[in-house]
Amino acid sequence: MNPNLVRVLDGNVFVLSDDNGDIEATRINPVGFFDFDTRFLSVWRLTLNGERLSKLSTAERDHLHLRFFLVPGAPTHYVDAKSSLIRERTINGGVFEERLTVFNHHHAPEDFTVRLDVGSDFAPILGVAADRTPPGRLYHRREERGLCLGYQRERFQRETVVTSSEPVRVDERGLTWTVRLASKEAWTVKLRVRSLVLRPDGVDVRARLERRPRARLHERQDDLAGWLSRAPQLSCDWEALTDVYRRSLVDLAALRYSPLTLPDQVMPAAGLPWAATITGRDSILTSFMALPVASELASATVRMLGIDQGAVLDDFRDEEPGKILREFRYGEMVAFEERPQSPYYGSADATPLYVILLDEYEQWSGDVDLVREFEDETRAALHWIDEYGDLLGDGYVRYLRRNEHSGVANQGWKDSPEAICYADGRLPGPPLATCELQGYAYDAKLRGARMAREFWGDPAYADRLEGEAAALRERFNRDFWIADRGYYALALDGDGRQVDALASNMGHLLWSGIVPADRAAQVAAHLVGPRLFSGWGIRTLATGQERYNPLGYHVGAVWPFDNALITWGLRRYGFAEEAGRIAEAIVDVSGYFHGRLPEAFAGYPRELTEYPVRYPTANNPQAMATAAPFLLLRALLGLETVGEHLLMAPRVPARFGRVELLDVPGRWGRRDVIGSGLAHADH
Amino acid sequence: MVSDPIEAFFAQLARQAPGRLLRRTAGTIRFELEGTDGLDVWHLTIDNGRIGVDRRARQADTVIRTRRDFFLRMCRGEAKPLTAWLRNDITAEGHFRFVVLLERLFPAPPAARHPRALTGEPG
Repeated sequence: MNPNLVRVLDGNVFVLSDDNGDIEATRINPVGFFDFDTRFLSVWRLTLNGERLSKLSTAERDHLHLRFFLVPGAPTHYVDAKSSLIRERTINGGVFEERLTVFNHHHAPEDFTVRLDVGSDFAPILGVAADRTPPGRLYHRREERGLCLGYQRERFQRETVVTSSEPVRVDERGLTWTVRLASKEAWTVKLRVRSLVLRPDGVDVRARLERRPRARLHERQDDLAGWLSRAPQLSCDWEALTDVYRRSLVDLAALRYSPLTLPDQVMPAAGLPWAATITGRDSILTSFMALPVASELASATVRMLGIDQGAVLDDFRDEEPGKILREFRYGEMVAFEERPQSPYYGSADATPLYVILLDEYEQWSGDVDLVREFEDETRAALHWIDEYGDLLGDGYVRYLRRNEHSGVANQGWKDSPEAICYADGRLPGPPLATCELQGYAYDAKLRGARMAREFWGDPAYADRLEGEAAALRERFNRDFWIADRGYYALALDGDGRQVDALASNMGHLLWSGIVPADRAAQVAAHLVGPRLFSGWGIRTLATGQERYNPLGYHVGAVWPFDNALITWGLRRYGFAEEAGRIAEAIVDVSGYFHGRLPEAFAGYPRELTEYPVRYPTANNPQAMATAAPFLLLRALLGLETVGEHLLMAPRVPARFGRVELLDVPGRWGRRDVIGSGLAHADH
Repeated sequence: MVSDPIEAFFAQLARQAPGRLLRRTAGTIRFELEGTDGLDVWHLTIDNGRIGVDRRARQADTVIRTRRDFFLRMCRGEAKPLTAWLRNDITAEGHFRFVVLLERLFPAPPAARHPRALTGEPG
């Protein structure tokens, strides 16, 4: 994927294009105008007098607007252009809008032919990267001032309607304007592109559903300003931290949207372009990490995933009662059940993570009502752990897909097919019990016990959950610990044997609290040791493991969200210096990406590359990476909730200097937190 | 004895709501079923774990419209409401969350397995 792609974004509606504004989608270049998990434009290519346009500069500030400053011809031939063009782009009320302005810089009048090629393949986002012949019928219709493109398969129908503010010549492949401009004169045309999801009677399916109209541009501007002013204000001597904090707030604001099911609340979409949708794991972990800045995301996520909680056994969707979904999609392949995301439930971590999020949210917000309202869902999630998660009856959460055709084989966050492996590279036999799943289950039981005792009036259930958690902790520490290597096995295979690769997964165990104090130091030493820590962050898989590859998505690359959870875990176990080192490295990385943390970056050693190398096909922005700085900050400042209070214990590496996080919202009202790298310099 | 399968489906809902319906779910759904001889209307009132069924055309939180023959497929667990909505085999107006709720009213897919059925453990 071209790293120079630029975007405007409104939650699950977005335009992704090359940096001159053109869209020319190919199998490996997933650009386009997307809505409802469908690509509504795959071609959007501008020429002036037959010449392609080159960008002089692009202004991308906040996802609301993009401005491209363009001249005809290739940049290498560029000499005193006689004309130029400004292309301005936004999403306004869910509609893609673009304004083109042509300038005649010549000292004499000029004739201009402005041509916009327009096309759509109506590809479902799940099919964008595949060779796929659409089974339905593509059609087009010329209109007075625009072009309608459509796709129909049985009763399923999508249309893209492009309209021009100025008189235009329309053919089936695009729009052409011919204008004569006097010297120094300019000409402007406004384009609107509507994405329609039609019923057989011609009504958009969303039009008759109760929901607020999608926000207009000025509402989105006001909303962003309000969002930024409500968030805690950060100041820090190290600019990289304030930059990544600000960028993350802006990106997270843009990723928020209101699902049809929950029209009055906002939750985070998981990322662009591959995951602008409702997800379980990503929305839970994003909301968890963002609790110090925007706890309302957690409440919406709990509600949304609770409504969609699994209720029946369904092999195609890997659904079981009480299970929290992995992903929901509105696209064609899901509609016709070529793919199972309606929703798909194939993840083993989202269900315990759901319980963890609800409990942590209550501790920050004091919103007891939500804990009471979602008691049934939470109990069902806890029940799922033992009844459906424990596949072998040995007390461990495992996964095994029943949908062998289009289901996911690895159902933790490392979900690529070869992510879970032995140190010697062999792949273990299912069903697998990865270590972090056991940590989540342990934590979920303890948090479930707290909620049962304090809010549900069920101390007997609380006692039972605590007993189960204690037994799980003991069992886990017996079966997963590799004594002669001093770390936890990545997983147990289907025969109960230890899968012995050294991987980042065990870092999550510190977050969960399942590690005894006398083992934590060994775990921490591995996490910050040279095999796992690259100098930029903790690798997903350690060097020296047979499948290690610095460009391996889950077998060598570094993921900021993974590092944030591990940093938080290290801090909880008292490893403040180690936590500070990782936080500093990740914040340092953000500086190389204009303050925006990528989903993942390569695991090369720092001394080899001297700068962090972007992972080629990652989402950008990606919600979990976007929220990671908030949890890193929480770890640096040692923010914990106790009763009605926010406790703070800043331990900040010297490089950060003074760190002030003002007006941290929560059940305590607002509190200021101030830490200094000088007061606690560890070296 | 009820012989029409659609009447039987609604009668069963009224007799005993599915256990997977949460007690605090509350709302109304109107089904409009298109047949060769006109439109059949069923109105559900869901409250406190119970479902009231009548045939009056009243205001509802969500209105679901489909053909009788397609509705029968949902009654048998052969078609899933959410994907049916995505394909326009059913249309919905009003509150979308009741479309999601339909998943808890209609039967599960036939022959689905407990995950332990694959591992040989007792389910």
